[in-house]
Amino acid sequence: MSLTASQEIYISRLGRGTLGFAALVVAVLAGTCIGETPIPVSIVLQTLANKIFGSAYVLDPIDIGIIWNYRLPRAIIAACCGSGLAISGMVLQSLLRNALADPYLLGISAGASTGAVAVTVAGLGAGAISMSLGAFAGAVAAFALVAILARAAGGGVTSHGTGQIVLAGIAGSQLFNALTSFIITKSANAEQARGITFWLLGNLSGARWPDVWLAVPIALVGLAACTWYARALDAFAFGAESASSLGVPVRRVQVVLIGFTALVTAVMVSIVGSIGFVGLVIPHAARFLVGVRHGRLGPATALIGAAFLITADVLSRTIIPGRVLPIGVITALVGAPAFAVILIRGRGAP
Amino acid sequence: MILEAHNLGWSVRGKPIVTGVDLVVNEDETLGLVGPNGSGKSTLMKLLAGIRQPTSGDVRVKGEALRAMPRRAVAQLIAFLEQQAETTEAITVKDAVDLGRTPWLTPLQPWSREDDLIVAQALADTDMEGFERRSWATLSGGERQRVHLARALAQQPEILLLDEPTNHLDVQHQLSILDLVAKLPVTSVVALHDLNQALSCDRVGVLSGGRLVALGPPHEVLTVERIGAVFGVRASILTDPADGTHMFRFHPAS
Repeated sequence: MSLTASQEIYISRLGRGTLGFAALVVAVLAGTCIGETPIPVSIVLQTLANKIFGSAYVLDPIDIGIIWNYRLPRAIIAACCGSGLAISGMVLQSLLRNALADPYLLGISAGASTGAVAVTVAGLGAGAISMSLGAFAGAVAAFALVAILARAAGGGVTSHGTGQIVLAGIAGSQLFNALTSFIITKSANAEQARGITFWLLGNLSGARWPDVWLAVPIALVGLAACTWYARALDAFAFGAESASSLGVPVRRVQVVLIGFTALVTAVMVSIVGSIGFVGLVIPHAARFLVGVRHGRLGPATALIGAAFLITADVLSRTIIPGRVLPIGVITALVGAPAFAVILIRGRGAP
Repeated sequence: MILEAHNLGWSVRGKPIVTGVDLVVNEDETLGLVGPNGSGKSTLMKLLAGIRQPTSGDVRVKGEALRAMPRRAVAQLIAFLEQQAETTEAITVKDAVDLGRTPWLTPLQPWSREDDLIVAQALADTDMEGFERRSWATLSGGERQRVHLARALAQQPEILLLDEPTNHLDVQHQLSILDLVAKLPVTSVVALHDLNQALSCDRVGVLSGGRLVALGPPHEVLTVERIGAVFGVRASILTDPADGTHMFRFHPAS
């Protein structure tokens, strides 16, 4: 019996999907094993078996505590944030036709920080709205402002090859970062202020299971949205008008996908603070590896983003013994040179 | 009457670019649009393609108002070749032509072997076979133009809207593309700069200052007087001794 072309495509997709998921599991396990106290994989697997399948391996309760309450949720959160931010960057780069677009540069992360701080520190909403919701409102407000500014400056969100949206994003970032500082200085006490400043630079040490149950669905929803719209994103290759003539409802796709981007960024920022460079660098690395088609690029971006942030988190915990670096420092230290390499190699690409 | 426009107008910041265009395109004809720079050709093409919304009047495809149709349904009927659509993505020729199948695919209805055949045919029709794996950045202007046309053909439209399709093409490909468009069993509206190329269309429309000032068979529309009035040049008509057809030669007006 011979297979039809679409069946073959499904099977090869299934194969790649399984491989990708396996890589993700390995990365999460590695993130759980490596740390200041290295824990053997066997202990980690036995702990997981005890917790998930109710096995009865005899283990050190301290190991169990480190693995189950601390490192595993942290690794899962890192994976979700890495993939969510990378996917967001990819969507923005494709929709705006701008290689520099990313939630951090366009002010979305800054807006989310302001929203989160307004809720937690200034007590906006009097406890009725959550930090994530505040972050989402901030993210949407920031992007709306940036988009309006870019349009007023004559660039528009859709015209390609213009730097207006990035310039507007820089202005928006500065404004919202200033607002964040203003709120912190006005409303936070000294101890709060120190904690928030550390969180703003990106910090996974507060990651616990309730955060996992928020981050995992949001990351999956983000990936599902960009997979569903993969062909529409492909069609933006020659600009928005070309996409429109190929049957893409441009306005609707832009609103839906930028909305998802704001949601994913906001949730990730509310959990780990704002982490730069992931959304900018990872999509370019993924394009370099698997090409520009979003059907493949989306999952690849998510996977590389997840692996990258898990690695960055491990480095941030182990690089200086006894100290935890803000993860944003690691992503920038690794990301900047990686980006330089991509730029230089991309020039000579056939 | 596959495509019609009634009192079609579009203005930007109060400045009218296209005004009061009434146009009926017949099934299977090739309609040429000519006019000097800034006469509104490209804008009219975008209005007909439905990627810009008119500020007055409307466009109908097979009797249905374009603005009421979903974009996907429009793209299954109309393919539009823009002027100068560029990309910085590292896409290949095959990637670019594959995009033409977008209106026919959904997330639940993936790429099939039939789509591969359609793309291969489009590449063959535009003389771009063997270029599938070439990256966009390495193509010349004329090759890019042919890839765009292949993408439009892969859409399998009933109506082709081509905005200056012969731009950047060498003379051989100018002729072969126009010949291909004339032979295809589709309705075409082609914006052209070369008045001699317009002579081979079934009908020609002349745009001037955003208005359609003449519409009809080429030899009735493209008279020496009208060319003088619209384009500001003095035209003389020459006869090709090989086959007796007419062509224009142009001289400065003064």
